[in-house]
Amino acid sequence: MRKILYIMLLSLPLAQQLEPMDIAIDQLRTIVETASRGSQRVFVDDFTGLL
Amino acid sequence: MLDQYPETLINVEWHSAGYTPGDSDFEECYYYDAYGACYGARGGLYGVGGIPHTQWNGIEETVGGYGGANWEAFIGTFQELYGSMVGDETPFEINISGIFEEGQVSYDVTVSLDAYMSSSDMKVEIIVVEDNIYSYWGAVNEYHNARNVARHWLATEDLTITNSGESQTFSGTFDVNLEAWNPDSVKMIVLAQSYDTYQVFQAAQVNINNFDMDEDGVSNDADNCMEIFNPEQEDIDSDGLGDVCDICDNENVFVNGNIDGNVSVDGSVIIDIADILTLVEVVEESDPESCGYQAGDMTTEGDVNIIDIIALAQLIISGAFDS
Repeated sequence: MRKILYIMLLSLPLAQQLEPMDIAIDQLRTIVETASRGSQRVFVDDFTGLL
Repeated sequence: MLDQYPETLINVEWHSAGYTPGDSDFEECYYYDAYGACYGARGGLYGVGGIPHTQWNGIEETVGGYGGANWEAFIGTFQELYGSMVGDETPFEINISGIFEEGQVSYDVTVSLDAYMSSSDMKVEIIVVEDNIYSYWGAVNEYHNARNVARHWLATEDLTITNSGESQTFSGTFDVNLEAWNPDSVKMIVLAQSYDTYQVFQAAQVNINNFDMDEDGVSNDADNCMEIFNPEQEDIDSDGLGDVCDICDNENVFVNGNIDGNVSVDGSVIIDIADILTLVEVVEESDPESCGYQAGDMTTEGDVNIIDIIALAQLIISGAFDS
């Protein structure tokens, strides 16, 4: 019973760490994953940037 | 994400000597035969000025720096651009096949259409890149793993096909700089791009170690019959040569010592006096293409001679093959 209580207490702060950036990355990942299944491609020319 | 979805998200990094780390070799890229000219040639297509500059499918761009190299600040923009393009349909399919040996790549690029498409100003671009170059970037005070760095813009060819079912093949060769490049990281990237609108209609990439010449789903380096379609890789005699291109009788097993290929009913090899007699014939014929030749090279010197006969006889007498 004590273990369950610890898990519940720990889960509250962890759940609050989901930031907008994480959500945006997850959404992008979903788009790419969907595209991957359809054999669709996007090409990026990157001029000395960080991608 | 580039690693997770390599068939979906493809990029090329074009580096200028003025922007890259001073001790790096990023600018070593040939535009056709012109050293260090890739950045100017490619950037000229899009009117690239400041960097970082990313061009999405040739038609959309994002320009400007990310504070502290925090590219994630652009994730929302990337998401919007990617989402607007990934659903686009394209009539083009690109297949890259070839072979990499002794520092040289011979390739065939085939572009095919499954619907009508105007060929006006349509080009096929063939680019060689090196992936994963890790170096220190003083401008942002951090180490950066550059991906798919352009090394050689090999060719820009006219694409003349217009109708569904048509295809066009472009063949050529290029040398891999074995001293400066890591051949395990060298890829070919091929684009179908309009030089009217600069829209990229299709892109494909392949590591030069993973060519699949016969398109059977098994890359050349692992294919037991590289030039003939054999997706199941059948090799009944387990000699490393696929059955479809095995010059020897696949019902026999030509392994070292089993010169005549005989096997017992349970499939195990039979090595006995008959193999010595067969080896004598192999030595007399001296035909490296014969099935018994490689099996008879007991000393693994690369050729078969009287020494191999003596070695085989000694092994048989000593009972080395009895089990």
